Amino acid sequence: MDSSAQAVIQVKNLYKIFRVGEEKVRALNGVDLTIRRGEFCAIVGTSGSGKSTMLNMLAGLEKPTKGEVIVAGEHLERMSENELVRFRREKVGFIFQSFNLLQTMNAIENVALPLTFRGVDKKTREARAEKMLKLVGLSTHTKHRPTEMSGGQQQRVGVARALVLDPEIIFADEPTGNLDSRTSEEVLGLMRRVVQENNQTMVMVTHDRHLAGFADRIFHISDGKIVKIEEQQEYREDEK
Amino acid sequence: MKFSDLLRMSASNLLRRKLRTVLTVLGVLIGTASIVVMISLGLGLQKSSLEQIEQYGGLTTIDVYNWTDYYSSSETDTDALIDDEVVEAIGAIPHVEVASPILSVSVMAKFGGYEAWLTVCGMSQEALQSMDIEVSEGSLPTDSDTLEFFYGNQVITDFYKAKTYEYYWETGELPDVDLMNDSIFFIFDTDAYYNSQYDSSVSAPKKYLVPASGLMAGGVDEYKDNCYYVLADIDALRAQLKKVFKNSVIPGQPSTKSGKAYKDIYYEEVYVRVDDMNNVSEVMEEIQNMGYTASSNAEWMEQTQQQMSMIQLVLGGIGAVSLFVAAIGIANTMMMSIYERTKEIGIIKVLGCDLKDIRTMFLMEAGFIGFFGGLIGLVLSEIISLIINQVAGGASGGYYSGISYIPIWLVGVALVFAVLVGMLAGLFPALRAMRLSPLAAIRNE
Ligand SMILES: Nc1ncnc2c1ncn2[C@@H]1O[C@H](COP(=O)(O)OP(=O)(O)OP(=O)(O)O)[C@@H](O)[C@H]1O
Ligand SMILES: [Mg+2]
Repeated sequence: MDSSAQAVIQVKNLYKIFRVGEEKVRALNGVDLTIRRGEFCAIVGTSGSGKSTMLNMLAGLEKPTKGEVIVAGEHLERMSENELVRFRREKVGFIFQSFNLLQTMNAIENVALPLTFRGVDKKTREARAEKMLKLVGLSTHTKHRPTEMSGGQQQRVGVARALVLDPEIIFADEPTGNLDSRTSEEVLGLMRRVVQENNQTMVMVTHDRHLAGFADRIFHISDGKIVKIEEQQEYREDEK
Repeated sequence: MKFSDLLRMSASNLLRRKLRTVLTVLGVLIGTASIVVMISLGLGLQKSSLEQIEQYGGLTTIDVYNWTDYYSSSETDTDALIDDEVVEAIGAIPHVEVASPILSVSVMAKFGGYEAWLTVCGMSQEALQSMDIEVSEGSLPTDSDTLEFFYGNQVITDFYKAKTYEYYWETGELPDVDLMNDSIFFIFDTDAYYNSQYDSSVSAPKKYLVPASGLMAGGVDEYKDNCYYVLADIDALRAQLKKVFKNSVIPGQPSTKSGKAYKDIYYEEVYVRVDDMNNVSEVMEEIQNMGYTASSNAEWMEQTQQQMSMIQLVLGGIGAVSLFVAAIGIANTMMMSIYERTKEIGIIKVLGCDLKDIRTMFLMEAGFIGFFGGLIGLVLSEIISLIINQVAGGASGGYYSGISYIPIWLVGVALVFAVLVGMLAGLFPALRAMRLSPLAAIRNE
């Protein structure tokens, strides 16, 4: 990666402290990091180390206790909830561990959902959703509901949904957590390919040391602090 | 988000839980129906009592009198009496449509073996036309120069057998007089007639034949305004009286100190018609300021109106209770639905659905429930109203025009009200949904 590329995500001295009864839980304890445009980053760490908290903060789903979060030029810590929703609608795609497709809608409607929120008319958005589904290799399942698809297929729909808006940044919290290792690699490979083609930035949380190997950079987090940043020189085609 | 998409999503959410939606709609339906039926009963009652008032002289007529008693005091100041000028002045008051003097005289009618004392009221053409008199035969008095009589539907009962003095209400037999076609003679100088009966030296006054112009519609027992009067065109009547009495005083008219007749004719009463019910009291006040006594049905009506709004309030209140219960039902349904959809709401928030759109979506769902409940409730109300009127109408012999009356405005108001109640009940749940955390979507269950 070109190190001179501009920073898309900048985190400065970030703290998140949860209060549980009398006790204080320091989920994030002074984090600084910078992610450049077009980077594929992974956040790894043990359970409870603060990975999800970190990601939620970057996506504007949670308010920091202290510190700055600047994503795509916007200061998230200063935004109201209304502005955060707008920010996500315009800049962010999100892939969930448990897919989180709407059960009442079929694949195409699910993928078109973010476009619906943008006020795109039905014809246009369904055409785009269909194209997206084709891209993730699901052109035969457009009319299927989530209950009529396998986990891997559902997550492909999830990926299509996150990418349909052509967002600047894509966040994924353990996107392959509910998939077997073979499917995981397939889905991840797909994500990696699409993101790289469009020069999008991707931040992914994962447990799996092996899957983290798909990333350009790996942030190791422990007890709310970044303890190590691993730089991978090139995407290893051969591992696929 | 596009409005059509919001609409589609709300509708599909309602359809997802059909039974629950139907039950909630049922609550609103019953609430709306009970409120509408209750109010319709109040309105029906009001309508039939207004109709009753209408039968007793209408809601827009004013009677003007002059209580200066010109029989006892021959000193009468003729300025205070009602003459044509006064009538004209009353006619010039704003909102007055018709002002006509009423010239009433007592006459004796004779036909065959029958006699009758009748009151003849002379009125202007304008006034006669404006009284909405139903004519069964012939027509109202025309403005020709010859005097014509128009008979009220109860006039026939004033005829009695000259020999036995038996009236209709004693015999139960209608007098054998055809008011329309028989040649009935009238005596205008009743004093002279009276005198001639007991003093043979006095010659009987002249009798006049007056043709009939028409008959008022209605049976003998049917009460109506003017039903026991004989109506005539005032100009023709005035000419006739002038002819009969020449220079002597017409009975009922004031006289000078020396017992001579005045040149002008004075009236005891003026018939006034106002353009609208709501202007009656204003016009009445004006007339009273002129120094005359005015009376109308306004006071009676006002009282009735007050009573009616009281009754409507009570009835409406009873109905409102059930709609209130329905509103709680809506709130409950919406709350349940939000608990079930916590995760879903979280997902759409993460995906960037506007908070405003989330609120609108839930408000629309609640509004839909209100709308359909209201709509079907109105249909039910119409059916209930129909049944009530059928049953009660049969029982009361068709006297009422309807016990339950649903005007078109009530339909509109009820529908808007039902939708508003629905949305109001949905407001709190909608705000709640709007504030739900998007993190609910992230957490794995
Ligand atoms: N809403 C909350 N209230 C209180 N404590 C919280 C809350 N969310 C997270 N925490 C705490 O913050 C710490 C970090 O949590 P986080 O979910 O970020 O862990 P994680 O690295 O994602 O773990 P895992 O790999 O199991 O998902 C944990 O100790 C957790 O108990
Ligand atoms: Mg986590």
